[in-house]
Amino acid sequence: MKLLRHVGLGGRLLGILAIVVIVDFLVNTALFERTSDFALRAEDAERMAEHLVIAHRVIEAAPSEERNAAAQQLSTDRFAITWSRARLNAVDAIELATLRGQILEFEPELEKSHLHMKLMPLSNGGNIAGSVTLQDGSVVNFRTFGRVSWTLNMGRLLAMALPSLVLLILAWVLFRAALKPLRTLVRATSEVGAGSPRPVEETGQAEIRHLIRAFNAMQERIHQLLGSGSQTLLAIGHDLRTPLARLQLRIDDAGIEPELRAELDQDIAEMRDLLQSLQTFVESGDEGPPPERIDIAATALTQVDNARDTGALITYRGPRHLEIMVRPVSIRRALSNLVENALAYAGNARIELREEGGVVEIVVDDDGPGIPEDRLVEVLRPFIRLDNARARNTAGMGLGLPIVDRVVRAEGGTLHLANKPRGGLRVTIRLPHALT
Amino acid sequence: MNDHISMTAPSIVLVEDDAPLRNLTARALREHGYNVRAVATGAELWVLLENEPADLIVLDIMLPGTNGIDLLRRLRQTRDTPVIFISARGGEGDRVVGLELGADDYLSKPFGTRELIARIGAVLRRHGAPVNGDPQPSGNQLQFQGWRLSTARRELRSPSGAIVDLTGAEFDLLSVFLGQPQRVIGRERLIELSRTRLADSSDRSVDVLVSRLRRKLSTTGGAAPIKTVRGVGYMFAAEVTRH
Repeated sequence: MKLLRHVGLGGRLLGILAIVVIVDFLVNTALFERTSDFALRAEDAERMAEHLVIAHRVIEAAPSEERNAAAQQLSTDRFAITWSRARLNAVDAIELATLRGQILEFEPELEKSHLHMKLMPLSNGGNIAGSVTLQDGSVVNFRTFGRVSWTLNMGRLLAMALPSLVLLILAWVLFRAALKPLRTLVRATSEVGAGSPRPVEETGQAEIRHLIRAFNAMQERIHQLLGSGSQTLLAIGHDLRTPLARLQLRIDDAGIEPELRAELDQDIAEMRDLLQSLQTFVESGDEGPPPERIDIAATALTQVDNARDTGALITYRGPRHLEIMVRPVSIRRALSNLVENALAYAGNARIELREEGGVVEIVVDDDGPGIPEDRLVEVLRPFIRLDNARARNTAGMGLGLPIVDRVVRAEGGTLHLANKPRGGLRVTIRLPHALT
Repeated sequence: MNDHISMTAPSIVLVEDDAPLRNLTARALREHGYNVRAVATGAELWVLLENEPADLIVLDIMLPGTNGIDLLRRLRQTRDTPVIFISARGGEGDRVVGLELGADDYLSKPFGTRELIARIGAVLRRHGAPVNGDPQPSGNQLQFQGWRLSTARRELRSPSGAIVDLTGAEFDLLSVFLGQPQRVIGRERLIELSRTRLADSSDRSVDVLVSRLRRKLSTTGGAAPIKTVRGVGYMFAAEVTRH
């Protein structure tokens, strides 16, 4: 086996082909043997022998100018007889030795007349044919049609197809085994970039093992690239905060009109919010702290009450307590993003909480304009903002819903966005791991 | 000594590695009457503190060499000088770690002068002469009927161990109750307390707040241990232990 592992894919295929050729050769030889062994059922052979003997005797007795006509008269639609002055050599015909012996057993006199039995090639009808020689050296040829030869030929076809089928199955099994590591690789390729890299085990032939090694290295590089992208985003975010803090303090210290100051404060606050949402987005893709037991009903209520205290139109429906295993910081963030979105776009929000079969469902409804159907998927992608005027009013980088999406997926849950028939958006979060 | 401190300006040490921001912050603090010494690294901080103790330290988390978190850890082994953390990350992780290590407050960049001054004032007041003669409680874990309140993390856990979120006003209210268990707390006191948290603070809003807190503290086993004392106020009717 150790030696086999070092044979390349080319060597393997060559080996497979060699096996195919050898098996083909063996099977064809056996088939040839079997054809010459071919025998008819006793009554069929007897009838054929009788017919032949009669034809032989009648044509022998007839004068040579009448022999053609006689032969024609002796023909039936199943057994054709012709007369010729010399032997017709049929090419590609297979000698049917067993059948000849069978016929000679019934009519030994045909032995002297040099009985020939053969199977015609399929291209020539595939019938049983043969000849007997008359005393003057001329020849009576015969040929069968119909059922007898048909069974023989079906058997032949099957016998010939069978090795091919066996070979196909054999080749399929061998190729499957040889290509198994490749299939593993294909599966691994489709998962690159999602989560941390999972190296594929190096198995199979030399080429495939090289491929897997290269793939693992590539996977690692992609992971580092993605990571360094996130790290760059984070670093830029952190580095911008210090000059922003300087700017804020300079403005606070400068003798400027209160109106201008308020506007500048607003601008800086917006920049801070942008940096914050960027950071939250990057961090929501990380593993983060482990899940904790949390009263999700209290979390929802806290969000609702906080918003209500600022005068928002928001309601809660659901149980007083509902415990679940999640990462508290992320799930709070997700809920508050949904509430903020609803209040910003619709001016109202309704949170509903329920639990069924271990799955917690959180529904956030609003009566706003919803999201155009063709953009329901797009809004979950980062940095996408619905580019109408109202979107500009809210701070952020279009990361609100993408953060929710990432958080929910990190918890093994699902996020579903839908426009309600009567208007307004309905966001449904389903989270597993309810504790009851 | 106490007289001396109350007579002179409180002394603040600022640790910030960005020179312009350090100067701007120091100037803003001086303009608001504080005595400021500003340094760039942890090493300089130790030298300063050796020479003369401070009333408060404003500490940037991200510093070259020893970072702010390690500095705080070392500081807490010998001193309980109040510390306000300044972070350029603004992440929840930094905040929790900082507060758990014993930081008194947390501020993320960018911050305004007004916000910084307000936070410093609040921390100094908490650490200065105690209001109402209440001694500053030691230990930041309060327990009642299986519930646990962590004042450092501002986190409440139910008897089953689940985190129960509270609004800022609810947390403050619960802290007041737990500070004076089995004593009647007048409605006026609660209105005063909620004034900083609620836009509209009145009798009614205090009642709403109490009912919200009751709802959160209710369990399948029974109602929350907050009793209404008719005409006076409320009372927290459970035993509270401190850890």
